[in-house]
Amino acid sequence: MNFSKRVTAFKWVVYGLSCLLILSLFQTQIIRGGHFRRMGESNRIRLIPEEAPRGKILDRNGLLFATNRPAYHVYITPEDFDPVDLPVLSKLLGMYPDEVRKLVSVPRVRALMPVMIKKDIAKETAMQIEERKPSLSGVFIQVDGVRYYPNRGLNGHVLGYIGKISREEYKQFDHDIFRVDSYLGRGGIERTFDESLRGEDGGRQIQVNARGEQLNVLSEKEPLAGRDLALSLDLNLEKEILPSLKEKRASVLMMDLRTGELLILISHPDFDPNVFVEGDKDGERIRLLKDKSRPLVNRAVLGTYPPGSVFKLVTALAGLETGKITRYTTFQCNGYFRLSPNSRRFKCWEPEGHGEVNLLKGLERSCNVYFYNVGHLVGEKNLDKYARMLGLGEPLPIEIPSSDGLIPSSEWKKNKFSDVWYQGETISFAIGQGYVLVTPLQILRLVSIIAKDGEVPVPTLLKVDPDTQVPLYTTHAHKESFKLIKQGMLQVVESKYGTGQLARLDFMKVAAKTGTAQAPPFPPHAWFASFFPYEDPQYALVVFVEHGGSGGLVAANIAKQVLSSWRALYAVNRVFEKPALPPVHLEGNP
Amino acid sequence: MKQFLKGIHWPIFFLSVGIALSSFLFIYSATFRGSESYMAKQLLWLMVALVAFWMVVILGYRKFLNLSYLFYLFSIMLLVLVLLYGHTRHGAQRWIVLGFFALQPSEFCKLATVLVLAQFLSDRTKWMGQKRSFLMGAMLVMIPFVLILKQPDLGSAILFIPMLLGMLFVWGIRLRYLISIFLVGLTSLPFLWFTLKPYQQKRLLVFLNPNADPLGSGYTALQSKIAVGSGGLIGKGWLHGTQTQLDFVPEHHTDFIFCVIGEEFGFFGSLLLVLLFCFLIGYFIQIMERTTDQRARILAAGITSMFLFQMAINIGMTIGVAPITGITLPLVSYGGSSLVTSFLAIGFLVSIHKERSIF
Repeated sequence: MNFSKRVTAFKWVVYGLSCLLILSLFQTQIIRGGHFRRMGESNRIRLIPEEAPRGKILDRNGLLFATNRPAYHVYITPEDFDPVDLPVLSKLLGMYPDEVRKLVSVPRVRALMPVMIKKDIAKETAMQIEERKPSLSGVFIQVDGVRYYPNRGLNGHVLGYIGKISREEYKQFDHDIFRVDSYLGRGGIERTFDESLRGEDGGRQIQVNARGEQLNVLSEKEPLAGRDLALSLDLNLEKEILPSLKEKRASVLMMDLRTGELLILISHPDFDPNVFVEGDKDGERIRLLKDKSRPLVNRAVLGTYPPGSVFKLVTALAGLETGKITRYTTFQCNGYFRLSPNSRRFKCWEPEGHGEVNLLKGLERSCNVYFYNVGHLVGEKNLDKYARMLGLGEPLPIEIPSSDGLIPSSEWKKNKFSDVWYQGETISFAIGQGYVLVTPLQILRLVSIIAKDGEVPVPTLLKVDPDTQVPLYTTHAHKESFKLIKQGMLQVVESKYGTGQLARLDFMKVAAKTGTAQAPPFPPHAWFASFFPYEDPQYALVVFVEHGGSGGLVAANIAKQVLSSWRALYAVNRVFEKPALPPVHLEGNP
Repeated sequence: MKQFLKGIHWPIFFLSVGIALSSFLFIYSATFRGSESYMAKQLLWLMVALVAFWMVVILGYRKFLNLSYLFYLFSIMLLVLVLLYGHTRHGAQRWIVLGFFALQPSEFCKLATVLVLAQFLSDRTKWMGQKRSFLMGAMLVMIPFVLILKQPDLGSAILFIPMLLGMLFVWGIRLRYLISIFLVGLTSLPFLWFTLKPYQQKRLLVFLNPNADPLGSGYTALQSKIAVGSGGLIGKGWLHGTQTQLDFVPEHHTDFIFCVIGEEFGFFGSLLLVLLFCFLIGYFIQIMERTTDQRARILAAGITSMFLFQMAINIGMTIGVAPITGITLPLVSYGGSSLVTSFLAIGFLVSIHKERSIF
């Protein structure tokens, strides 16, 4: 085919398309023009949207975390309303008659348009109004769905809440999915999984007559309900341990080591997400925002704190892996450490000193001097490297926003303060003080990695099918190093000199590391990071109490209560290897 | 001056300026009830577009073809930029906001791609390496195609396909290749389907089945059909279109501007506009026939397909014979990027006509 033939073909395409277009225009405008003109004239098409019910959020056993409940709103059509009923109605609604009168006489855009008198009244009240229907003319109840969080103030942080779309968001988003009055997830799980929870709104396109009555349905689509979402959290277990937190600002996390499922993720004080969904709760919302204990902050994943002695696990691993220490290396603890004969003293928490200390003893008694020495030997670069290997200072993939924490380095300090790194800072770094900041979730993952001899679990808030094989990756550290550290952690609880004895149980061996992180001028933060059972680690548990005092006392005590609750719920008949020593009680051990 | 004005294809110039000027009637009717002043902005854009047009005519199309790879790279960069920092409206990220106006890089990219394809294809004759030429050409189109699809802007992306096919055809690709490309395209459609966003799938579904989304795109499709259809033979008269005036049809100053034309000027108005476009495109083909420069032929083929399909799809979607995708009616829709691009393209054709007799 030569060029001129091709041009001819090209022309035919143009002719063909143009003719097609003109013919379709003719069909639309001339042949069916009358039909469309009638449809357009009175513009008798109405859209009746029907919102898709939002998916429920459930706990791992199918208990409700979030659902939808009917809300009853009272409306009055002023034209039909008889003022004689005013006293009866206002008494039922718990309002002043004048209040109702004022609402009824508000000017409206259009006649016969009903006015909302009260939003979201109790079901009983709604029933009473319905029962008196013949006498209360013009008064009617309208029902719609409202998001409801039945556990009120539990896991508000994880769940988040939903809110009306803002004008700016509406402009940006796809109008096929979001309407002007759509709700969308505003935090936590509600936000992350908004797309699958929301489903697809439906509705009808109907033709109406001049009086607005429906003539026929032109097109209809059923709403597609949102998908339910099962979380990994264990509602029963969380409810059990809530009383032990009382007035504390604390966070408790527990993870299944095989699947990475988080069974507990509590940040206390919590907030009630219903407050953000229900109307007339402005006062409550302002109280939450202004509260000094900051209940809206999820301490478990967004709060960053110094890890204190828990960080000694990292220092120990760095020492073993770099070959600077072995299990037999000892250092002399006289109650303090000096970089050089004339420099300042770095104190041990035990003023009299621990004497000759090896790794196991150092972990068991949380000897600062031992780890000052190890930190000094391995240097800040290695501390940084192994902290990152254990997941600190790095983003942690989880379904809700989380903080990276902070692991300092000399470059970081140079950028931030334009100052060099001092050796003394390495000494503080080695015991988790100074610039180091971690989230409780990061500490949970750190003990999990140790418990699993270097396998890194991926924490998740979603329920994992028990049959799935969860892919794991492994750190480059040696298994023997982890085994040794685990033995030290066992001694923390089981030895009679251990700092975490208070958590000792009579039915199973728990391994842990306590931390009492200095946070002047306030009391120190209490940490307790553990895994259990020791012989075959299945769960990791972290308790953190903000400015709670000693980790070995406050945090260990809560951890023990959590473990007892766990046993009562799930392991009453399970037989574990017994501990070497009987458990201790707070009264007998000052 | 005389030298310069010699050989200008005046019919094309006056035809396109005429269509562009008539668009002010429609844009005014579509927007005069709103608060924003679209008219002044569009007038400003028309000035810019005419300057661009004369610039192309004076400089000549060859210079642009020689630099086409540079333009191409630049427009790809803009497309990446828009994906990273672009302004989002109605769920699509298509605009780069620069002070008081918003740039839509996909419009300019269309032209840059036509230029680069013309340059590339004319470097190789049809007797050497048909397959390789085709594959390379397809690659050149694929990059902007995917980037634009990601915004997402299905309409602008799809336009690249007739553009590529039209240019390959005029270049001289063997018919059996063209047919096999067509078949491959047809079989890959199901795979392409899954790369689309849900809302794009929905729009295509609505095209096949208007009940798929009665409150969203289905409503738009029905209302725009009512708008055009209710225009009848002579229309409701300027500024008297109820459908568009009362905002039943969205975007009626940009993508759905034809609703205003159909409703207010009826079948006569619509026919007139389509015929004007046909004349314009007819002249384009005439220019393509008369030039002896292979590069210019291919370039003209690309621009002609671009105009033809943009017009056909845009008008088609308002009357339900093409799916609703966000593309503009060239020369008529409100929007600076679209107008400037259209005039640049016409500038190339006029320049091809002017320089045709050099050999």
